[in-house]
Amino acid sequence: MPIKWILHWHPNPGTTVNTQILSEVSQCAESINGVKEGRWKTTLSFYKAMVREQSIVNEFPRDFVGISLAEQPGKYFLVIRGQRLVVEAESNIQMIMEKLQSYKTRVALNFEGNQYQLGDFQLRVGKVVPMNSENLRGIVMEMEYVPISSWEKSREVMADFFELWQEALAKRSLPGHFVHNEPNFADYGLSDQYGMQHTAIQYANITAQIVATSQLQAPRN
Amino acid sequence: MQQPAAPPPAQQPPAPAGNAPPKQVAQALEQLGQAGRLIADVRLGADRLLEALFFVAEKPHHQYSAKCLNLILKEESLMRQYLVNLRAIGRQLEESGVLNDSLRSRSNSWGLHMPLVCPDGAVVAYAWKRQLAGQAGASAVDRTRLALKAFTDQKRQFFPHLADDSVLEPATKKHCSPLPISYEEIGDLKTVSDILSHLEKEVPNLQACTYQRMEWLKRASSLPSAANESPTESTKDLSFPSTSKWRECPEMHAADKAAVIELLLPSVFRAVVSLHTAGSVDPDAVAFFSPDEGGSHLHARGFSTHHVFRHVSEHASMALQFFISAHPKMALHLMLHWVCSYQTLFVKVCSKCGKLLAMDKQSGLVLPPVKRPYCFTSGTSMSKNSPTEKCNLNLIQAFHIGCFSEDA
Repeated sequence: MPIKWILHWHPNPGTTVNTQILSEVSQCAESINGVKEGRWKTTLSFYKAMVREQSIVNEFPRDFVGISLAEQPGKYFLVIRGQRLVVEAESNIQMIMEKLQSYKTRVALNFEGNQYQLGDFQLRVGKVVPMNSENLRGIVMEMEYVPISSWEKSREVMADFFELWQEALAKRSLPGHFVHNEPNFADYGLSDQYGMQHTAIQYANITAQIVATSQLQAPRN
Repeated sequence: MQQPAAPPPAQQPPAPAGNAPPKQVAQALEQLGQAGRLIADVRLGADRLLEALFFVAEKPHHQYSAKCLNLILKEESLMRQYLVNLRAIGRQLEESGVLNDSLRSRSNSWGLHMPLVCPDGAVVAYAWKRQLAGQAGASAVDRTRLALKAFTDQKRQFFPHLADDSVLEPATKKHCSPLPISYEEIGDLKTVSDILSHLEKEVPNLQACTYQRMEWLKRASSLPSAANESPTESTKDLSFPSTSKWRECPEMHAADKAAVIELLLPSVFRAVVSLHTAGSVDPDAVAFFSPDEGGSHLHARGFSTHHVFRHVSEHASMALQFFISAHPKMALHLMLHWVCSYQTLFVKVCSKCGKLLAMDKQSGLVLPPVKRPYCFTSGTSMSKNSPTEKCNLNLIQAFHIGCFSEDA
């Protein structure tokens, strides 16, 4: 599978993310000859364990997330960051969890937006909004290089492209920048060959960072 | 209405008595060019038919089956048309004496000879030099050189980027670097097996394998395309015997009939080189693909779905033409050695601008340095056990499309 870096917007201290930034980022993608191709959507849900006794609630992980990726709607990815666990399941696992009343969705987030083709690169720019709401919680970007599927071999190319992208964006003087934090895939038992599980882990990570950032900022309605 | 006094157009069979030999030669050459184009069309059509047939065979109830069947029917009628046209041209050539010896004896009095068509289809325009005529039947290189001289226009048409005749100029005119390999070593490498084992010693990660043509087509179609399979599935399913190092290939006994060489540098590229004829050491086409690509388009004249590999393939075709014309006896080894220099495709920065990625102005795409110089002279030969030979691949420079010039 092609390599993908998932970036999230880090607003400057004292500022918050807004739709103006989102549209500037989209225009920047088009300015470097990106061709708009279509829409994309990925969903992430925070789960909490349904237990009868409140006392043992803390034995269950709080960072248990389930992710449905845009490119593979038939699969569902479950990640527990604290224990470095990632599992790929069929999408009907959600229905099973619901029927068993074992886990319930606490919060669900949608990552959605447009995708752009730049030769062998594919860019996805998206907003982060809670399900059934239009409150912008963050901005994410997916940077994909189609010809390579080895994480190590793609490092230089992706870093170079990220730099190119940052340079193009810097011309617009936006109050913030994109950040890429690389998770340690080996901790999760994954190999150098990139796959959807790698993407799921990246989403779990950036969601945690977006939540942490927004908790530090003044809360918006 | 004035009857045209000029000779009839090329479509009609020329009346031998009415045309001077130079005109006949010109017409014959044009017809041969047309025949060549038709043969290329037939070949392409055959590829398309095979592709459609494989697709339908794998997924008989797929939604695109109907489309494939229509495509097969359309291709079939096109192919029929091409073959009919080819037959017509063949008849014209026979009548004008090009395809048999009759005209040679006829035109002796003019001192000009008709183009000679060799048994394997190569054409020699000026076979009046007896030595060359003898060699023309024997040496692929001389035949190619003669055909190129005569077909200057056709060459410009099929290879527009060589329009300035740069390939045929003596290599010394350019600033060429010395050959990375010595002649003595190459003299020992006579067969494909020798060349590949020598190469694998130089390039540690390389996996090289040889195939017969149909074998390769089967393998190419069985390769998983990255979009459909997850990495864990694909590595388990590749039980095709030829994926192992070529020394362990069970088809070793058929190495002398090899028509396709596959060079795989894992996670970087897969290059396919075709040999003409099978079992020889004469390369005639090369193409690059992503190691995750699969499908019937994976062959030495095919095009990758990725821009970066399409550009590399285009550049590699020019390099191949250069190696064949400038170093005919070493062409295969030089070609494969040069192909391996692309192991640094995604890490080596451009030797001119110092960056890895750059926006190519012509195509508007962001690409790594896809060009590597191929112009070597057979100047200084190096000592046999020179340690620098191993480093030579890394010394080969890399350039972006816009940063590369022929003099580099």
